[in-house]
Amino acid sequence: MTATIRRTVAGALCVAATVAWLVTGRGVFWPRWVYFGVGMVLLGRLLLRRALRVPPGRRLWLALDAAACTLIGCADLSVWVLTGGGYFWPAWTLLGLVTIVGLHAWVVSRPPGARERELTERVATLTRSRRSAVDQQAAELKRIERDLHDGAQARLVSLSLALGLAGDLLRRDVDGAAQLLAEARATATAALDDLRTVTQSIHPAVLADRGLGDAVRALALDLAVPVTVTGDPPAQLGPAVQTAAYFAVAEALANVAKHSAATAASVTFDQGGDMLRIHVDDNGSGGADPGRGTGLRGIVGRLDAIDARLSVDSPVGGPTRVTVTIPIEPA
Amino acid sequence: MLLRDGLIRLLEAHGFEVVAAVGTGPDLLTELVTRRPDVAVVDVRLPPSYTDEGLRAALAARAEVPGLPVLVLSAYVERLYARELLADGHGGIGYLLKDRVSDLDEFVAAIRRVAAGGTALDPTVVAKLLDSRARVLPLDRLTPREREVLGQMAQGRSNAAIGAALFITEKAVAKHTNSIFAKLGLQSSEDDNRRVLAVLAYLDA
Repeated sequence: MTATIRRTVAGALCVAATVAWLVTGRGVFWPRWVYFGVGMVLLGRLLLRRALRVPPGRRLWLALDAAACTLIGCADLSVWVLTGGGYFWPAWTLLGLVTIVGLHAWVVSRPPGARERELTERVATLTRSRRSAVDQQAAELKRIERDLHDGAQARLVSLSLALGLAGDLLRRDVDGAAQLLAEARATATAALDDLRTVTQSIHPAVLADRGLGDAVRALALDLAVPVTVTGDPPAQLGPAVQTAAYFAVAEALANVAKHSAATAASVTFDQGGDMLRIHVDDNGSGGADPGRGTGLRGIVGRLDAIDARLSVDSPVGGPTRVTVTIPIEPA
Repeated sequence: MLLRDGLIRLLEAHGFEVVAAVGTGPDLLTELVTRRPDVAVVDVRLPPSYTDEGLRAALAARAEVPGLPVLVLSAYVERLYARELLADGHGGIGYLLKDRVSDLDEFVAAIRRVAAGGTALDPTVVAKLLDSRARVLPLDRLTPREREVLGQMAQGRSNAAIGAALFITEKAVAKHTNSIFAKLGLQSSEDDNRRVLAVLAYLDA
C-alpha cells in the first residue's frame, strides 16, 4: 500500500466518521475514538519501521521493546486525554514502561561475558584467516600461472618451433637440422627443469610420496648446515596441515642457512596431548625478528588457516628456537 | 605408459632383451624376484598409490635378492632416496632424472654400468651433495678441479671416462683422485663402485 493510498484511507475514515456523527444528530462526540484508532495504527507503523533499521542482534530487540513501550505509553496518554483527564492514572503505566525499557537497556549495555568475548574473537580470527587464505591461494595461483607461462610454456613453444625448422631442413641441410635438434633437446631439458621447480613449489614430491616426516628429512639433507631430525609427526595429520607445517619448517630452515651463521640445527617433532609442536633449533647468532621479512609473514598466514601458531625465541647471541604449534584432532 | 613404450623401443634398438614390462609396484616386485633380470629400469611413481611404489618395490626386491641391479628413473631426484638406494652397499644402483633418457648414449652406458654392478647417480644429486656439504666438511680443501673429478666420480664414472669428460689424461685423473682420497682421509680403490660408496658414505656422515 503506498503512502498516498494509506493517507487517503486514513483521511476518508476520519471524514466519514465525522459526517456520520453530524448526520446522526451530534450526540456524544464518538468519532474521536476513530481518530484515536487511525492515529495508533499510523504511529505503530512508524515506530516499527524506525526500530527495524537497527542491525540484527541484541540492540534490535531493545529497539523493538522501546517502540512497543512508546506506543503503549502514547495510547495511555491519548485515552486519558480523550476520556476527559481527571486523575492522572497513566503515571503508573508510564512508570512501568520506563522501568522495563530501562532494565532492558541496562542488560544490553553490560559488557559481554568471557565466553562471548572468546567467541567474538574467534569469529574475528576465522574471518581474517579465511580471507587471507583465499587471498593467498589466489596469489599463489597467479604466481604458478606466471611461472608456467614464462617458463615451461615459452620453452615448449620454442621447442616446437625448433622441431618444425629441423623438419624443414632435414632434406636440404642435415648438419643444420642436427644442430637444431640438439638445441631442441636442450630446450626440452630446460622446460623440464622449469616444470620441476614449479611442481616442487606447489607440493614437494617427497611430501606427496612419504608425508611430513620424510619430507622434512629430505629438506634437512639438502641444507648446507647439518640438521638432525628427531621424532615423527602423528600419522593422522591431514594434507593441508602437512603442507602448511612443511613450508613453515622449510622457511625456518632456510632462515637458519641464510642468516644465523649456525653450525648445527635440529628439527624436533614433539607430540603432547592434542598438540603437535615442531621445534626448529639452531646454535647461530640469534636476533631473528619474526616481524621483519616477508617469508615468515607468509608462513603465519598459512598457519593461521590451520589454527596453528608460530613462535620465535631468538635472543641476540643465540640460540634460536622457532616453534610451530599445531592442534591435532584425536585419532 | 608413454615412457615405458618408448623405453622398450629404445632398449631393444640397443641390443637389450626386454623380459618383462609391468605397470604396478606389486607386479614389479614379483617380476624382479622371480625373473631376476640382469638390470631393471624402474619409475619411482607407480600405481596403485602413485607415490613411491616403484622405489619401495626396488628396495624390497634388493632386500630379497642382494645386489639386484636397478636403475631408478624419476621426474625429480632426492638425496633421501639416493641414500636409501645406496644404503645396502651392494652397488648396482642407478638413480637418474627422466630427462637423461634424451641423451641415448649416456643413458645406455648408465644401464650397462648398473648391470655390471656399478653406479649411475644423476649429476643433480651429486651437485646437491657437493654443494650442501662443501661449507661444513673438509671438501673446501679440494681444488676446483678436484671437486669436478669428485663430482664425476660420484656419478659412477671410471678414471678413463672422467678423463674423457674433463679433457685430461687418465693419469692426471688418477693423480687427482689420489689427492682427493688423501685429503678426505679415504683408502683409494680400483673398484668404481666402492669409490662411489666411500664418497657417499663420507658425504652423508
